[in-house]
Amino acid sequence: MVPAFVFLTLFVYFPIVKGVVISFQNYTLYDMTNIHWIGLDNFRAIMTDINFGFLQIIINTVIWILVSLLFQFLLGFILALLMKEPFRGRGIYSALVFYPWALSGFAIGLIWAWMFNGQFGIINDVLLRLGLISNNVGFLSDPRYAMVSVIVANIWYGVPFFAIMLLAALQSVPAELMEAAKIDGAGPVRRLFSITIPYIKPTIVSTTLLRTMWIMNFPDIIYAMTGGGPSNSTNILATQMINKILQFYDYGQGAAFGVVIMLILFAYAIIYLRISATKEDATI
Amino acid sequence: MKLLLKIGKALLLGVFLILALGPLYWVIVTSLKGSQEIYAFPIRYLPESLNLENYEYLFNISNFGMYFRNSILISLIAATGALFISMFSGYALSRFREQKLKMTLLLAMYFTQIIPTYMLMSPLFTSFAKIGMTDSLLGLTMVYIAMMIAFSTIMAKSFFDRIPVALEEAAMTDGCTRTQTLFKVVIPLTLPGLAAIFSFAFVNIWNELFLAVMLLSSDHNMTVPVALNSFISKAGVSWGVLSAGIVVALLPTMIVFAFAQKYIIMGLTEGAVKG
Repeated sequence: MVPAFVFLTLFVYFPIVKGVVISFQNYTLYDMTNIHWIGLDNFRAIMTDINFGFLQIIINTVIWILVSLLFQFLLGFILALLMKEPFRGRGIYSALVFYPWALSGFAIGLIWAWMFNGQFGIINDVLLRLGLISNNVGFLSDPRYAMVSVIVANIWYGVPFFAIMLLAALQSVPAELMEAAKIDGAGPVRRLFSITIPYIKPTIVSTTLLRTMWIMNFPDIIYAMTGGGPSNSTNILATQMINKILQFYDYGQGAAFGVVIMLILFAYAIIYLRISATKEDATI
Repeated sequence: MKLLLKIGKALLLGVFLILALGPLYWVIVTSLKGSQEIYAFPIRYLPESLNLENYEYLFNISNFGMYFRNSILISLIAATGALFISMFSGYALSRFREQKLKMTLLLAMYFTQIIPTYMLMSPLFTSFAKIGMTDSLLGLTMVYIAMMIAFSTIMAKSFFDRIPVALEEAAMTDGCTRTQTLFKVVIPLTLPGLAAIFSFAFVNIWNELFLAVMLLSSDHNMTVPVALNSFISKAGVSWGVLSAGIVVALLPTMIVFAFAQKYIIMGLTEGAVKG
């Protein structure tokens, strides 16, 4: 127990506190001798930044989360339903179809950046061959398409996770319940909506809520594909924080983003706990 | 009608499979193309011949072999360390009698789970700079151990929870000491769970980019993700070489996943927090 908390204190708790402290300081690598308290200036600076509109970043973050989540869930659910009944080779099939989940977000971002490449990308080529576009599209260089492109990569990455979780839940639905409904004349669609979905609703709710938080804090794919550009169009809170640190060396403003993200996380965690608490009450 | 449904289902399953494997196929094909072929029109969906020049560049001209070794070492050591520590803390948490303290400690663990790792980049860097621990693989290894401890402990606790205390009591009446009981009775029973924890930690550490980018600077210390990141900014590194690097970077995680998938999924679906 003690070693565990020694590690956590040194490398997690202490840095978090330090991050909060830095957010109230003028702290840039250019000016290391001149670190001093500046109150809320960092927060004011990130919210009024003309080049990286704060409102735009917030809207991007919400779109990034909601659209990714919706499609990850829907496709994951369909995949889980398809895999519920045993078929020959299901073990190998699941290994092949679930593997994206184990890959690094950064590597996935790079792969999709190459596939979405405006000149030599395979996606442009396929769309051209199908006659869906007549000229190459600069998916990652055109602000209109960049967000869609990074979200597509993120959906690809997240479907296996939902499929894994929902498949496990689906397999816990008692077979007798299904049989009884079948005998009573309920068709497959009716069974899905009246039995399956209500039965696995707790899993759906908790998985979705946890995933929301996770996607918000998943900058890897965007960082690899666009770095938040072009012209701020794919910048979310997480990528902007990383850019502030790695590109602008402004640790103070980076930390201010960190504090904003943490506040959102805490608010969200409280809501999450409330929801899961009422859910438990309801089942008792 | 039934047959039609079956065919439709098989088709859909096929579509999912193609979509899942497509990107992997494409990055492998790209890595096997010569530089002429990559930028040639029309795009070739099958490589003309097996061309290994990208891999040769990767290992002969850039130091990818060394980056790979760094990554393997760091992931193995940190995953082992995290597993070892969390084995004890998970066991302790599972067998704690003091309910209030137990809940507080658990909450302290869960708390770290909602803090994303990139949040720790600059505070860790500035602290490490003060004590001269930047650009050190050992320093990064310690950070990675810390990063994986909370999750591993929570998982380990849930595995230990399922082992009846009566079993341990029986072993102790038979003359086992506390430590002997742990190593001879409890741990063998939770081996699949511990394997899951190890694989999960290994994959996560292997894939980690941002802390490594922040804390490592010299070429001989780079891990695989850091090296890939430096390729993007380096002029003259082609998509062929980058693809070869990605393929090499993906290999270990895919191997671990192939062996431990069952256990990882088991651990994941039983109360895991991080994805």
